[in-house]
Amino acid sequence: MDFGVDDDDEVYTSEADEADVGTFTAEKTRSDYEVDFRVLDAHDIRTMQHDRARQVADILGISTEHSAILLRYFKWNKEELIERYMDGPETVLQKAGVITDDSTAPRVMPAPAGFCCDICCDDEPGLESLALRCAHRFCRSCYEDYLRKKVVNDGESRRIQCPATHCSVIVDERTVERLVPAAVYTRYQMLLTRTFVDDSPQLRWCPAPSCEYVVKCDVPQAALRTVVPTVQCRCGTTFCHGCGLEDHLPCICELVKLWLRKCADDSETSNWIQANTKECIKCHSTIEKNGGCNHMTCRKCHHEFCWVCLGPWSEHGTNWYNCNRFDESSSKDARDSQARSRQQLERYLHYYNRYANHDQSARLDKELHTRTEKKMEEMQRTSSLSWIEVQFLRVAVDKLYECRMTLKWTYAFAYYLTRDNQTALFEDNQRDLEMAVEALSELLEKPIDPTHIKELKQDVLNKTSYVAKRRETLLEDTARGLMEERWKYQVTL
Amino acid sequence: MSGICQQRLAEERRQWRKDHPFGFYARPRKLADGSLDMMIWDCGIPGKQNTPWEHGVYKLVLTFPEDYPSKPPKCKFTPPLFHPNVYPSGTVCLSIINEEQGWKPAITVKQILLGIQDLLDDPNPMSPAQTDAYMLFRKDPDEYIHRVRVQARENMPS
Repeated sequence: MDFGVDDDDEVYTSEADEADVGTFTAEKTRSDYEVDFRVLDAHDIRTMQHDRARQVADILGISTEHSAILLRYFKWNKEELIERYMDGPETVLQKAGVITDDSTAPRVMPAPAGFCCDICCDDEPGLESLALRCAHRFCRSCYEDYLRKKVVNDGESRRIQCPATHCSVIVDERTVERLVPAAVYTRYQMLLTRTFVDDSPQLRWCPAPSCEYVVKCDVPQAALRTVVPTVQCRCGTTFCHGCGLEDHLPCICELVKLWLRKCADDSETSNWIQANTKECIKCHSTIEKNGGCNHMTCRKCHHEFCWVCLGPWSEHGTNWYNCNRFDESSSKDARDSQARSRQQLERYLHYYNRYANHDQSARLDKELHTRTEKKMEEMQRTSSLSWIEVQFLRVAVDKLYECRMTLKWTYAFAYYLTRDNQTALFEDNQRDLEMAVEALSELLEKPIDPTHIKELKQDVLNKTSYVAKRRETLLEDTARGLMEERWKYQVTL
Repeated sequence: MSGICQQRLAEERRQWRKDHPFGFYARPRKLADGSLDMMIWDCGIPGKQNTPWEHGVYKLVLTFPEDYPSKPPKCKFTPPLFHPNVYPSGTVCLSIINEEQGWKPAITVKQILLGIQDLLDDPNPMSPAQTDAYMLFRKDPDEYIHRVRVQARENMPS
């Protein structure tokens, strides 16, 4: 990340962009499923830190460099800092490693007579040296080495202490700037910014690789059960501000987490085993019956038993292929539990298969994107349409991808919903969207007939606007349901 | 050996010879040709009085890295010590000599050795390094103390 160099440029672009976003949101009325957010760059974040530090400095009557250290110690929780500071400033200052005596402000100066650096043991007269307000003096080059190692090797920024044994005074930003080379200072600033963003719940880094923007959104963690705060970075990436994962509208973060865990771990493997296999009662080997009669002989221990009632085969007498113990209550219980387990598995697989299918289709749609480019070129060659007039295809493919992602997460959401009228309505919306998506998808996959391009264009435009509308309807209704707490889940959150 | 490292270790040695805590020793290792290896120090830490560790002097080797004092020396009991915070290899687990935790370039050899002496009778149950001593320390304090006393006897200087 490169801050220092073209600051002025960055200010300009960021302001321009903000103005853009501003007018954009003003014109468009916000849907129920959308949230307000702002994209910030490195410069904005630095300004934000300075503003907060200055604000606290004014309240507490200390310098901004000290208030910044205190804020970092309190993980930028301003309220807690002020409250604790009012209770006892000395304790807070001491814990955070701040000494506010201004008469001993750190500066580089020739060492006093009789000085010997405790790190390199150099005692040359007139050696350049520095001490923080704690008065632990070291030579300049040892200080620089120490800071460089902390920043570059350890990735440390806000908790760099005085190098003296047991001294917890924090090295302030100005001192770091004074001592280390510009490149190290830049990295130091970047690390500070990173911890600031990590400590601020309203801020989140864009998860896209090598993207350096931060998105600010004020939806608190506590509201994540009623809102899915989906934001879009300036780089184009859409993601959830609540959990940092991909855009998972309309499913709420908590259910997304549950669902992903369920899909990832092998709990379903054990479910399958339970539904499809039995254990040998003697050696407990797991057995899957793949055909044949009920007379089982365990491969391992050669125990012979009946698959149906699990009783020893010897008791079956001559009823070789028809277990007459079938209706006994104990075996009935066993069967019931097995049926329930199988049913659960089937239910899960129903949702999972659809979820996975849309996920895969969405990925394939990315390929479709490349193919569409070719189609667009072809259209420009074979018809009278201009470049701008064939953009409808790209728009359609983008919309298709967006809808696939939404559909994918509707299945995770629906899996956790209890069966009631609300859920039936949700599934109606889901079905409508799905049908619209499949229709559009089919249309886009078809080869182009050069004689019917006009009709094709009209058709694609119609279908695109229709899927967009279906998606809108589904998301609006789900979001409203979340706010009204209309959805009932099968799991307790 | 870098200049700073060499200079610092020479000074450490000078300071130690001028004054060091009672019962301790710390000296650079003597090589076969009679010269000194400043990077490896053989040390001894006495157990504190009125603790089960008393009478023992525990042998410790400090190995200084090239970039000392930016990085801490490695501190290893030889033979390995029965202690909750000593790894089976003999390496000591203590925050002030841990590069990622409390190490500061201004920490002296004297402070390290005194810190380890403190650790002997005041183990840190939050960072166990060996199961043997840790389990006994937690589950059977009497047996733990007994084992420590036996170890102290074994480590009495002759």
